[in-house]
Amino acid sequence: MSDRKVVGIIGLFDDPDSLIAAAKKVRDTGYTKWDCHTPYPVHGLDDAMGLKPTPMPYITITAGLIGGALAMYMMYWMSAVDYPVRIGGKPYFSWPAFVPITFEAFVLFAGLATMGGMIVLTKLGSWASPLHDNDVMGEVTSSRMGVVLDADDEKFGEDSARDLLGEVGCQDIRVLYAADDEEA
Amino acid sequence: MSDDATTPAAAPDATPPADLSATSSGGGKVTMIGGGLLAFGAILSGIAFSQDGNRFGFGYMIGFAFVWAIVLGSLFFVALQHATSSVWSVVLRRVGEMLASPMILLAILFIPLALTALLNPETTIFPWRNPTTEMAEHAVHVKGSYLNESGFIIRTLLFFAIWIFFTWFFVSGSLKQDGGGKESLTERMRRFSPIFLILFGFTVTFASFDWLMSLEPNWFSTIYGVYVFGGMTLSALAAITIGLHLLKRNGKIAPELIRGDHVYSLGGLLFAFTCFWGYIAFSQFMLIWYANMPEETVYFTKRLDHGWGGVTVALAFIRFVIPFFMLLSRQTKMNLGRLAGISAFILFGQLVDLYWLVMPNYFGADGPGLGYQEIGPVLLFSGVLLLAVGRFMGRHAMVASKDPGFEASKQFHLH
Repeated sequence: MSDRKVVGIIGLFDDPDSLIAAAKKVRDTGYTKWDCHTPYPVHGLDDAMGLKPTPMPYITITAGLIGGALAMYMMYWMSAVDYPVRIGGKPYFSWPAFVPITFEAFVLFAGLATMGGMIVLTKLGSWASPLHDNDVMGEVTSSRMGVVLDADDEKFGEDSARDLLGEVGCQDIRVLYAADDEEA
Repeated sequence: MSDDATTPAAAPDATPPADLSATSSGGGKVTMIGGGLLAFGAILSGIAFSQDGNRFGFGYMIGFAFVWAIVLGSLFFVALQHATSSVWSVVLRRVGEMLASPMILLAILFIPLALTALLNPETTIFPWRNPTTEMAEHAVHVKGSYLNESGFIIRTLLFFAIWIFFTWFFVSGSLKQDGGGKESLTERMRRFSPIFLILFGFTVTFASFDWLMSLEPNWFSTIYGVYVFGGMTLSALAAITIGLHLLKRNGKIAPELIRGDHVYSLGGLLFAFTCFWGYIAFSQFMLIWYANMPEETVYFTKRLDHGWGGVTVALAFIRFVIPFFMLLSRQTKMNLGRLAGISAFILFGQLVDLYWLVMPNYFGADGPGLGYQEIGPVLLFSGVLLLAVGRFMGRHAMVASKDPGFEASKQFHLH
């Protein structure tokens, strides 16, 4: 066993309150590469983990504004530059008539960018995680909650991580190893 | 809550021990400011009336509609919370009830407007009474079965009867609950709130037709009632936000009761109705502009020519573009103080909107003008509202602490 690479340490809890207490402790200790796994959303966990607000809104508004500008420019080019047709005695560039499409393009671009940005920011495309091969994931997605301290963190040490989780009253601490076929 | 029973009802202003069941919440300062506004507004109004009764009628309509929107919109807010059995709003619903309470004063203050408009032959505020142009004559002839004096009076009485009854129903029901905490009162209000919401839809639509759209009897727009409703709900939400902020800051509402989760919900509604107003206002404009039919475009040509175009563009920015970007960020919607500042701007936008709806019918080709004749009535009506609020504060608690949903509302969390 011990010759396999250690990827982290998980501390398991049975209730959200002790998880939040543990998360606060880990946050204050200064860990940066760590995560919490819960079978359902836990209120207040974001604050306890010290998660920064997501940059998602800026991605959404930027994409929306670009989409709206592109749509307005497209209609201007089509109806006033490339193929001008006089409709209803109105000017070629009748912007009020273009507002609905501009709005819709705004929403479309914003929506797609939100989805794409979410996939990128949550790293949804990275299939390989050592945690996937571990049985403990079955527990934290059904009945228990876990704090995982990543071995890549600068502060990580097998004993110090163990002590830290023990300090916050964790009864069930397990070391996570990389899968057998993975090179150390 | 109840262990504070030994504290005298007249709690000190500073350091609130959060005596939620207090029967008085002070309000002396509000009464003083309200009285000052009322006195100042009344002086300006008196001068305006004696100089030009006709112009004063238009200003009076702006002042009336401004406070009407806050009061009736607040009643709508309260009824909506009952209809949806909302948990988040229980801790702040009393602010809405307080702002809805002066409904009967509005009915009384409508009487001078109705009297001068209907009895004084020189007033031009409702041109359908004595149409001067051929076009107006035709329109009035066609619409005569609806747009006539007796119909106007009967409908106005009916509107106020419905609104006053439901104000009494929702406000006194909630206040009665402060005493015993009877759960059946909430159940009864929940059951009757949909009836009010349906009646509200009809009465707001027809009241805005009668009181505002009929200022231009030869013009018509079926979306007009929705437009007025959008502005109304927005100004009620803004007034509730400002009231909540001031009450919380002065300790009339325990600060720990109103958290970011409640404030964010209120901010979300403000944002939603800002977009709603922009959507409705643009829909109305674009369809009329696109169809380009003279009997419809007259409304917008009046508001785009002779210097009114600037007011129209300013309205679009003040009412939609600026508040939209101000309300966009999550941090702002979580911060009650900032939200109250934006709400003050939204109320200013409502005043600009009402000016834009009413005054082109007075100034017309002379271009926009503004004087004490318009400001006076707005101050007068705001003073009346504040006096009513001060009186309410002196008599009742600022939190519906015996509502069965109160504890859940205290614990309310978003997501």
